[in-house]
Amino acid sequence: MTERLEDFSLSRKVKTRGSLHKVGIVGAGAMGQEIALVVSQAGLDVVYIDISEERIGEINARLGRLLDEIISKWGMTQNEKKLILSRIRGSVDYHDIFDCNVIIETINTKKRGTNLDLRKEVFKKIEQAVHPEAVILSNTATLMISDIAAVLKHPERAMGMHFISPVRKVKIVEIVRTFNTSEATINCVLKFAQLIGKTPINCGESPGNVTTRMIVPIINEACELIMEGVATVSDVDLAMREGYGLQFGPFEMADRIGLDKVLKWMDNLYDEFGELKYKPSPLIKRMVRANLVGKRVGEGFYKYADDKKIAKPGSIRNLGRA
Amino acid sequence: MPSREVLAKGLVDKIGLKGSMIKHWRSDGTEMKLEGEILDHLTGIEYFLGILVSEKYGSIKDIREIDAIGHRVVHAGEKFASSVAITPEVVEALEECIDLAPLHNPPNLEGIYAATNLLPGIPQAGVFDTAFHQTMEDYVYLYGIPYSLYDKYRIRRYGFHGSSHKYVSHRACEMLGLDYNNTKMITCHLGNGASIAAIRDGKSFDTSMGMTPIEGLIMGTRCGDLDTGAFMHILNKEEVDISTGNILINKHSGMLGISGISSDMRDIEKAAHEGNKRAETALKMYAYRVKKYIGAYAAGMGGVDLIIFTGGVGENDVETRKNVMTNMEYLGIDFDFEKNEGLRATEAVLTREGSKVKVLIVPTNEELVIAQDTYDIVTG
Repeated sequence: MTERLEDFSLSRKVKTRGSLHKVGIVGAGAMGQEIALVVSQAGLDVVYIDISEERIGEINARLGRLLDEIISKWGMTQNEKKLILSRIRGSVDYHDIFDCNVIIETINTKKRGTNLDLRKEVFKKIEQAVHPEAVILSNTATLMISDIAAVLKHPERAMGMHFISPVRKVKIVEIVRTFNTSEATINCVLKFAQLIGKTPINCGESPGNVTTRMIVPIINEACELIMEGVATVSDVDLAMREGYGLQFGPFEMADRIGLDKVLKWMDNLYDEFGELKYKPSPLIKRMVRANLVGKRVGEGFYKYADDKKIAKPGSIRNLGRA
Repeated sequence: MPSREVLAKGLVDKIGLKGSMIKHWRSDGTEMKLEGEILDHLTGIEYFLGILVSEKYGSIKDIREIDAIGHRVVHAGEKFASSVAITPEVVEALEECIDLAPLHNPPNLEGIYAATNLLPGIPQAGVFDTAFHQTMEDYVYLYGIPYSLYDKYRIRRYGFHGSSHKYVSHRACEMLGLDYNNTKMITCHLGNGASIAAIRDGKSFDTSMGMTPIEGLIMGTRCGDLDTGAFMHILNKEEVDISTGNILINKHSGMLGISGISSDMRDIEKAAHEGNKRAETALKMYAYRVKKYIGAYAAGMGGVDLIIFTGGVGENDVETRKNVMTNMEYLGIDFDFEKNEGLRATEAVLTREGSKVKVLIVPTNEELVIAQDTYDIVTG
């Protein structure tokens, strides 16, 4: 018989506590990848689920590149990179999350409109794969967790956990309990947040929580300013950065988030609240249709080349192009 | 202390992480390594004690055979100038020092809480890395910054590796039959972390590590002395924040950063022998920094009688000792380069008969200092 450390416990009082070891991430897009890296860096194992073996190959390569970027900016060592990657595994099979203690749904689609049904379907598949104590979380910013969790046999295990990019730098995470969420689930999520070094912002269930709901009207209002010709894109950003000590101005922020995502948030908030302040600015809609969705594609309110931001010279009628 | 026999030694690794484990070694050579869930320090110490009394790997029969516990604590700020018996007041004082060493002090305290919990009533002693250097005078330990910052936050030089500097300096005097209180010594603790201390009148007079273990010598991955202006310029140019800057100077710098090869002296020496220029430069820089401190401390103390090498590199690395000791005749050192060759991890005098200043290797033994101090404290 192999020896177990537990056999040497002095008082035999030390019990193996149901602790957090393994985290499942369903949907390894940009956000899922960032979360995977942060969770793994905290020493937890990560299994992520994505749609094809080909995607998994791409994702693994991208995870390596993301860490290389951090290393090139002195934030980490090669050894730490090796350790972090060794704890992350990709799979196309939901069964591989069977032993995860926490599963985070982080799917995204490029399609316009809500992906509530897709998230529901994912929640259902997760519940079928995991053990009864596992906690199921959604990273949605604007959808209601209760709506997604309605498909679960045990909705008390569901919560919202909304990360903000760049996950590595942002020290907070919004956690959302529903009316049905159990104390055990809340405790597990609080412990998880602590393990990955994030301060939880407790939010009641409401679309957009704090961060998304605040940023959406600011971006909308910023669009109004430039459509009225009050100030230029760069001046609005400069004024907000310097005037209020913000790290990014509203347009820089929108470009970083991705205008397609911003639009989705606006749609969802407008649907839920019916208030004009959340109604997507026509400018945002035009830009999304033109696929000028921000940093990710190299152009949004600004142009991006070699990681540098360049102001666009043209008029707003021409979406900034000369 | 009646006996200096080591019954067992061990290590609890990766507490709170996956793959946490205990390694244990007994004096008859029996070794064991077991992985298991160790979520906190209490659990780790509990398992360790369990192994210590176990039939298969144990060294004692009953936990009550333990008479005292000694703790190594990294940073005691200005609170303690020597090892002390752990009392609730001491614990409180150490809790106030968490700010000074946020990475090291909390786990040290966890160890004290755990021992108090598992072995109630057994006396404990705290042995501090900083204590030995508390004898430095203000003009030595203060930095050239507004005094109010010292008043407010106790920003000053503290120094580390105290137990090691103390042990090897005492041992060297013992070896040569010298009076500790009348010998001027420079102790070079060269390991992955490295510091150098000047000891005069039986007291630490100056040391190269500062408020944190980053200052002073070039280390495996730490930069040692660095112009703060340069550091700010780097942060600005590379557009990184303070915490990343901290990683830069702690993990990417030193011998690893300069050589681009490794933080391990053996790898760098190998590369230098194969003609790698950066490795060569790194070795020169390392030795030069040590040499510069020796000169500075000799001047600071008004002379030096003994220079002592210790720590992984100091005890084992023939080349580093040779490089440091080249062209040091002016100081009255008649270094025996032949004898230096091949000497590793053993007590030895490296200077020729009649050398005014004597150079020694003294393998360090921090555990012994902790044991001895603890014994002295509990036997009053």
